[in-house]
Amino acid sequence: MSIKIIAFGQIAEITGKEVSIDAVDTNSLRLELNAQFPQLEGKKYGIAVNKKLVTNDVTLYEGDIVALMPPYSGG
Amino acid sequence: MENYNTRYARHYSLNNFGSEGQQKLANAKVLVIGAGGLGCPVLQYLAAAGVGTIGLADNDVVSLSNLQRQVLYSTEDIGRAKASVAALKLQQLNPDITIESYKMVVNNVNALDLIARYDMVIDCTDNFAARYLINDACVLLDKPLIFGAIYQYEGQVAVFNVKDANGNKTNYRNLFATPPDPLEVADCNEAGVLGVLPGIIGIMQATEAIKLLTGLGEVSVNKLLTFSILDYTNFVIEITPDDSVLELMPRDKLAFKNTDYNWLCGVSTAGIEDLDAASFLQKADLPDTLVIDVREADELPKVHFSNLNIPLSALSDKMSEIGVNNVLLFCQSGKRSLKAGKMLLEKFGNSRKISHLQGGIIALQEDNNE
Repeated sequence: MSIKIIAFGQIAEITGKEVSIDAVDTNSLRLELNAQFPQLEGKKYGIAVNKKLVTNDVTLYEGDIVALMPPYSGG
Repeated sequence: MENYNTRYARHYSLNNFGSEGQQKLANAKVLVIGAGGLGCPVLQYLAAAGVGTIGLADNDVVSLSNLQRQVLYSTEDIGRAKASVAALKLQQLNPDITIESYKMVVNNVNALDLIARYDMVIDCTDNFAARYLINDACVLLDKPLIFGAIYQYEGQVAVFNVKDANGNKTNYRNLFATPPDPLEVADCNEAGVLGVLPGIIGIMQATEAIKLLTGLGEVSVNKLLTFSILDYTNFVIEITPDDSVLELMPRDKLAFKNTDYNWLCGVSTAGIEDLDAASFLQKADLPDTLVIDVREADELPKVHFSNLNIPLSALSDKMSEIGVNNVLLFCQSGKRSLKAGKMLLEKFGNSRKISHLQGGIIALQEDNNE
C-alpha cells in the first residue's frame, strides 16, 4: 500500500519534499525509508499520521498522509 | 478612561481587545531568552505593544554577520553586548515599560530562579542544549513556553505547558523526546538563513504571547506549526500528550541543577577539553603540541597560526602519524572537531591530551568582532 510522505527541513533534503513509500505501519515505514535513503539512518524526526504526531507503531491505511518533522534549532 | 495612553490608541479601539486587553499586557511579565534573529522581532513587538515587564537574556555580542536579520542592531553596535544594546533600543521605543536585561548564558544553575520571576517564557535561542534546558525548566515551574525555531526557509512555532480545553498540556519532549546528535544538525551559521524568516517566525511567537496574555483568538496549544516562506504553506500537526516523557526529564529542581545540558546534547564530551578562542590560541604555541585543521583542504578562511590539515574524512587513516602528547583540533563550527576528538579518544584513550576549539573558526572570528 502506497503512503504519501511529506518531508520537512533536512529530511526533505534527503528524501525530496514528497515521496511515496509502501508500508503497512509506521515502523515498517521507517525501515523502508532507511532502506531507500541510507542517509536517514540515525537522523531524528517525528512522524505525524494525518497531521497527528505518533510515538508508537501505528497501522497505516490507503490515503494516509505521513509527515516527517525534524527538529529545527536555528534562532 | 483610566490610565489612557495615546501610544496604545489603536489597541483601545480594536474590537475584542480594548483597554482591558491593554491592561493585561501592562500587567504581564515576559522573559525572552535569546536576542538574536527571533529575539529581535519578539522584543520589538512586545515592547511596542506595551507588555509591562520584559526580561531579556543574552550573552552574545553583536557581529557584522548578525545584521542581515537581527534588526534591533546597527553597524555601530558591532562588538557591543546584545543585552545592553537591545535594552537601550527597547527603552527608547517604549519608556513606559520596564526592561530587565541579563547579560548571561541561561544555564542549569540560574534558569529556575530567573524563569520563576516571569509569567511566560519565549524561547528565541539557537541551539538544542538551550532549548531542552528551557523546556525542562518551564515544565518544572509550570510556565507557558512559546517555542520558535528556524531552518533555512522554514520555521516552527508551538506553545507548550498550556492546557487545552480538555486539560491536556504538552512540551517540547512530546515532540522530540531526546536531543538529536549535534553532528546531525546544522545551525544558522552552517546552513544559512534568509534574513526575513526569523522576522516572520519571531512575530508569530510575539503574536502567540499577546493572544495568550489577553485571551484573544485561539492559541496554538498542543500543536506544532511549520511555516515555509517559499510558498507560504503552513502545516499544523497535533501533539499528543504523553506523560511518559516526564521520565526523561529532571524530576525536581535539584535534579535540574545537576543536569549538564551541554553534555546531554553532545556539545561536550568527557575526555575532550572545550577551549574558547583565547585559550585555544594560547595553547597552540605550547611545546609537544599539534594543531590539526579537520576541515577539507579548500575550506576558508585560512588561519594565521601553524597547523596540519587532516580532513575529518581522512583522519582514521592518518591517526597513527600523530606523535605528540597534546592535540588541538579545530574546524568551522566546532562540530567536526568534536567528532574528530571522539575518534582520537577512541584510539588513544587518555594517553593523549585532546582539546578542540569550541564554536570553531566562527567563534574565533566573532571573538575579534569581525
